[in-house]
Amino acid sequence: MQTSFTPEQLADPHVAQSEKILRRCVHCGFCTATCPTYVTLGNELDSPRGRIYLIKDMLENGRPADAQVVKHIDRCLSCLACTTTCPSGVDYMHLVDHARSHIENTYRRPLMDRLIRGLLVAVLPYPARFRAALVLARLGRPFSPLLARVEVLRPLAAMLDLAPKRAAPVAKAEAAPPLAPALRRGRVAILAGCAQPVLDPGINAATQRLLARFQVEVVQPQGEGCCGALVHHMGREEAALDFARANVDAWMREVESGGLDAILITASGCGTTIKDYGHMLRLDPTYAQKAAQISALARDVTEYLATLDLPRQAPKGLTVAYHSACSMQHGQKITLQPKQLLKAAGFAVKDPAEGHLCCGSAGTYNILQPEISAQLKARKVKNIEATRADIIATGNIGCMTQIGTGTDIPILHTVELLDWAYGGPKPAKLG
Amino acid sequence: MLIPTTEAEAADMVRNAASAGQRLSIIGGNTRSGFGNRTETDAVLHSTGLSGITAYDPAEMVMSVRAGTPMAEVEAALDANGQMLSFEPIDHRGLMGTQGQPTIGGVFATNASGPRRLLSGAARDSLLGIRFINGSGEVIRAGGRVMKNVTGLDLVKLLAGSFGTLGFLTEVTFRVLPRPKTQATIVLSGLEDGDAARAMATAMGLSVEVSGAAHLPESVRGRFLTGRLPPGAATVLRLEGLPASVPVRAEKLISAFQPFAPVTCLEADDSAALWQQVRDVLPYADGSEKPVWRVSVAPSAGFQLVAALRLETGIDAFYDWQGGLVWMRMEADPEAELVRHVMHQLGGGHATLMRAADADRALTPAFEPLPSGVAALTQRVRASLDPAGVFNSGNPAGA
Amino acid sequence: MSDTIEFLRPRANVLSRRDTIITDLKDLLPVDCLVHEARELVPFETDAFVSYRRLPLCVALPQTTAQVSAVLKYCNRYGVPVVPRGAGTSLCGGAIPQEDAVVIGLSKMSKILEIDTFNRTAIVQAGVTNLAISDVVGPEGFFYAPDPSSQMACTIGGNIAMNSGGAHCLKYGVTTNNLLGVKLVLVDGTVIELGGKHLDAGGYDLLGLVCGSEGQLGIVTEATVRLIAKPEGARPVLFGFETSEEAGACVADVIGSGIIPVAIEFMDKPAIEICEAFAKAGYPLDVGALLIVEVEGSEAEMDAMLALIVEIAHRHAVKTVRECQSATEAALIWKGRKSAFGATGRIADYICMDGTVPLSQLPYVLKRTGEIVEGFGLRVANVFHAGDGNMHPLILFNANDPDEAAKAEAAGNEILKLCVDAGGCLTGEHGVGIEKRDLMRHQYSKADLDQQMAVRAAFDPQWLLNPSKVFPLEGRA
Repeated sequence: MQTSFTPEQLADPHVAQSEKILRRCVHCGFCTATCPTYVTLGNELDSPRGRIYLIKDMLENGRPADAQVVKHIDRCLSCLACTTTCPSGVDYMHLVDHARSHIENTYRRPLMDRLIRGLLVAVLPYPARFRAALVLARLGRPFSPLLARVEVLRPLAAMLDLAPKRAAPVAKAEAAPPLAPALRRGRVAILAGCAQPVLDPGINAATQRLLARFQVEVVQPQGEGCCGALVHHMGREEAALDFARANVDAWMREVESGGLDAILITASGCGTTIKDYGHMLRLDPTYAQKAAQISALARDVTEYLATLDLPRQAPKGLTVAYHSACSMQHGQKITLQPKQLLKAAGFAVKDPAEGHLCCGSAGTYNILQPEISAQLKARKVKNIEATRADIIATGNIGCMTQIGTGTDIPILHTVELLDWAYGGPKPAKLG
Repeated sequence: MLIPTTEAEAADMVRNAASAGQRLSIIGGNTRSGFGNRTETDAVLHSTGLSGITAYDPAEMVMSVRAGTPMAEVEAALDANGQMLSFEPIDHRGLMGTQGQPTIGGVFATNASGPRRLLSGAARDSLLGIRFINGSGEVIRAGGRVMKNVTGLDLVKLLAGSFGTLGFLTEVTFRVLPRPKTQATIVLSGLEDGDAARAMATAMGLSVEVSGAAHLPESVRGRFLTGRLPPGAATVLRLEGLPASVPVRAEKLISAFQPFAPVTCLEADDSAALWQQVRDVLPYADGSEKPVWRVSVAPSAGFQLVAALRLETGIDAFYDWQGGLVWMRMEADPEAELVRHVMHQLGGGHATLMRAADADRALTPAFEPLPSGVAALTQRVRASLDPAGVFNSGNPAGA
Repeated sequence: MSDTIEFLRPRANVLSRRDTIITDLKDLLPVDCLVHEARELVPFETDAFVSYRRLPLCVALPQTTAQVSAVLKYCNRYGVPVVPRGAGTSLCGGAIPQEDAVVIGLSKMSKILEIDTFNRTAIVQAGVTNLAISDVVGPEGFFYAPDPSSQMACTIGGNIAMNSGGAHCLKYGVTTNNLLGVKLVLVDGTVIELGGKHLDAGGYDLLGLVCGSEGQLGIVTEATVRLIAKPEGARPVLFGFETSEEAGACVADVIGSGIIPVAIEFMDKPAIEICEAFAKAGYPLDVGALLIVEVEGSEAEMDAMLALIVEIAHRHAVKTVRECQSATEAALIWKGRKSAFGATGRIADYICMDGTVPLSQLPYVLKRTGEIVEGFGLRVANVFHAGDGNMHPLILFNANDPDEAAKAEAAGNEILKLCVDAGGCLTGEHGVGIEKRDLMRHQYSKADLDQQMAVRAAFDPQWLLNPSKVFPLEGRA
């Protein structure tokens, strides 16, 4: 597509990168077809092609963001279904990242919006604060219907609705004994994460048990924290880069001391971001190279497990609907391994219809855009329930929370089912 | 009587008629003249002087023919190259009791189609290009020689089936297809009309590419293949294609239906003869003037229409197009209002009075009356091609 | 942006009433169904023919036929032009608006209303995508046959406007052959129904006239389409040739021999490389031209047909013959082919031609196309439906270089004239739109075009519907 930027504009590396991305778009419109918001709202402004055009117009004219542009960019889930669909290879992810940080830098949101975003940024990435917030949320839940009646307060109502009804136990760090190098098949770090251990500590625990069973040594580097995805998607680039740098430092220490074969991530949303550290920090001379090295080591847990060649198990007589998280299938393009692992472990696996569509979770989207999110959730649940599966498996905590509040079918992380199939305890959710 | 031998001459004749305020009726071989509304005319414009194949390259599967060329000539040329008109145009002579040679122009002007309609479409689906004289006496070219063409408005479709009310066709270019190497017909015997409709729907939903699906109730069964079809109503399903594939598909159909009805199979020659008889409405090619209706409805409505009418009046009927084309012969009165009323109750369609005694024809609109919005539009469209009302006035193809 | 092709001069009396029109239309539509803020109109200024762009007055996104009717009635009353828009995937600018036009977008009308497997029909709203129909009826053993490459995104309404084709039209025909009925809103707001579940309809074939009329006769809001039982099996086979001429001659021979595969697709070397880069379908990269020939039916039938086709291919010195081994592989082969245009965006901007020529002319037209484009110092990739002579040369250029853009346009015009002169037509399935409008006189005489315009005027006497398209601006009645 034709673009119109001055040489001065292109001197900004962010603009230069976006120009390059825009040049690839041929405006064919294929992306509209798989975009959850276009499918839901039927307005091109809420489609990738429409947003690309809005961003192009804004950047070319060097304009600050305004309410209209913000409305439509905010509605983007960043599910990246469009990048899977796009035949031209338009890197929508980095374009919309740029747009989001441009918005953050040039647009002053209405007060309530700022407060809610501020709250999310201050709480979610920090497990202790998040845990405390959930206690408060349980107390506040009765007020949710009241809040939902006032439009600007709807995100608060959504937050209260999403909070789990019971508190999850505080995760116990199960320090697995180090394996002698001769016996071990690998040495990996697992991202502890921020929200996930609060909401469902069982996931990483299952991962550690499973890996230990197959002679993989798991280490827990000190100083690692939130991956930064959450603030990144809100356009707070500097905050995101700070999280990224901290993690790079933490893992590099481990790489340099004991060596790491991989950095495993059990929440695919985080995986997408960590695999992008190399790109995010490309302009930081002290970190660029280290970040690229970390990104190259990052693996979704199923990606790594698939390399271990786990033994085939007898059929379990249970049907699993596999929900591929957007960050898994579109962000990281991992589509086969989780299903292959589940099948090998003895589960019958079904693909729900419209598997490419987001469930509406999308980080903080279900809080910030509750109406669209609710429609997508209903559509997703309907498609999943049509498979008549016994269990839903997925690889992202956000989807688990979102879908879990819409169906009675138990939803588990893929790795929890694998752990069970290979000798671990039966997941509590399966009764 | 006007018999132009060139397109330019035809244009002159139409122009003269238009300026003289004359009305022309268009005639090809005059084998289909008995149906349609009656026309008022000052002179007859014949197409038969415009004859001959102008271009035919079998490898291109496209033929261009002057409109007055006899069908026999077209078919002979196609036959010699193992090709055919995929839409199997009905030969109206038997049904209408007419003589003479049908022309290719008449086929397209009436959109004459046959049993393969449900697979390969009607005449209009094969028509790629036309030349015609509009009501102002201008030579107009529309469409072309290629299969895919969306260059401008599709006047080709508009003229197809317009019964000579919009223009005088001088040349037609159409797509032809290789004649299937072989064919066979599966006969299910003894099914009631409703069961037959369901069986045909099932067959059309199977991966066997049925190219003809008709139901011949016991009352007409004996007229086909000189009575050689097995006893009881015959539901017939045609398969065409390569010798390697037809028997395989036939076997599939047979095993699908064997549990429900006695099944037999007609070999290629009988199959071909049968479908020609279905196409030409053999049971009602009876030399009588008893009214005959041709009703196009949704396949699920055909047998219901017949059942409902049977309660009210004396009719005989058989079905083509998976039950969606109903040929009905009335015992006495055409019962136009009844037929159309019931048809609309069953979801609508298109009922054409094909044959009737002159007295009945004078009183009964042959074509389905159009809803007012469509009728008004139809008149405007007609005026845009024939502003002076030169052609086949009184016969506005259903308007 | 190119400016060779002119748009109609905006009507001053419409532009001056802009605010009133917007206020009035808001009253006719639900909330959030009218786009009118300056910023928000920008994404509607073009479709997939990005060389031309015009901002619309506003964009109406109705949810019902009644709302479409109300908006049209209003526009007709006040002489406001209307440009219909489906998914905006037109390659000829069919959905590009103009400054004084209300765009009526059908994207919110995307419901499948009825699936009737007994009668093998589906009734859908105009904004339903082409592929959505096959997706829904697939589990029942049926599909909707026309398959334009943009089928995942393009809408049935748009398909009807352009009489869209696709790869599998060789056997199943184009949209007009698979369309049984429409609900059509005329320019004055009158809603009429043409056709239905019955195969033959009464009166003139207005359905056939509306199909391919590029939104100039009315706005289709619902369609009844024909469903077809899925074949038992389908198998694409790749045939690689040293030269495009050999491949072209092979196509003509296959068709001439009386075998009609479901699809015969052609790619030249640049196109193969582009598609392989996106789809990784395993196209041979060491050949000069590739044919994808798909046969379908039972195993026995496919084997028999393929044997004949392979024999013919050998007569044309075929270099590689590769039968596809699995459904996944077949899907990749088609994914690559169907994404060809978009995938071209990886290496350059392009404009895509759509002329159709008689099969015997294929090798000649291919050769001349290459010469024409080279003559302008540009590159070309060819990927198209060879079985029916529908060519799609992609002229590659740099859109940020005005000189190259002008050259690409000029080369395109020459290629299209070549197609007409070779006995073909300007456009096989993309439509005339804005792109080929001024070439119409090359294909039609004055009388031919006047007649078409007279018919058009019978539907829309004020020329309000998509008025800058299809017919050359000079010489309109």
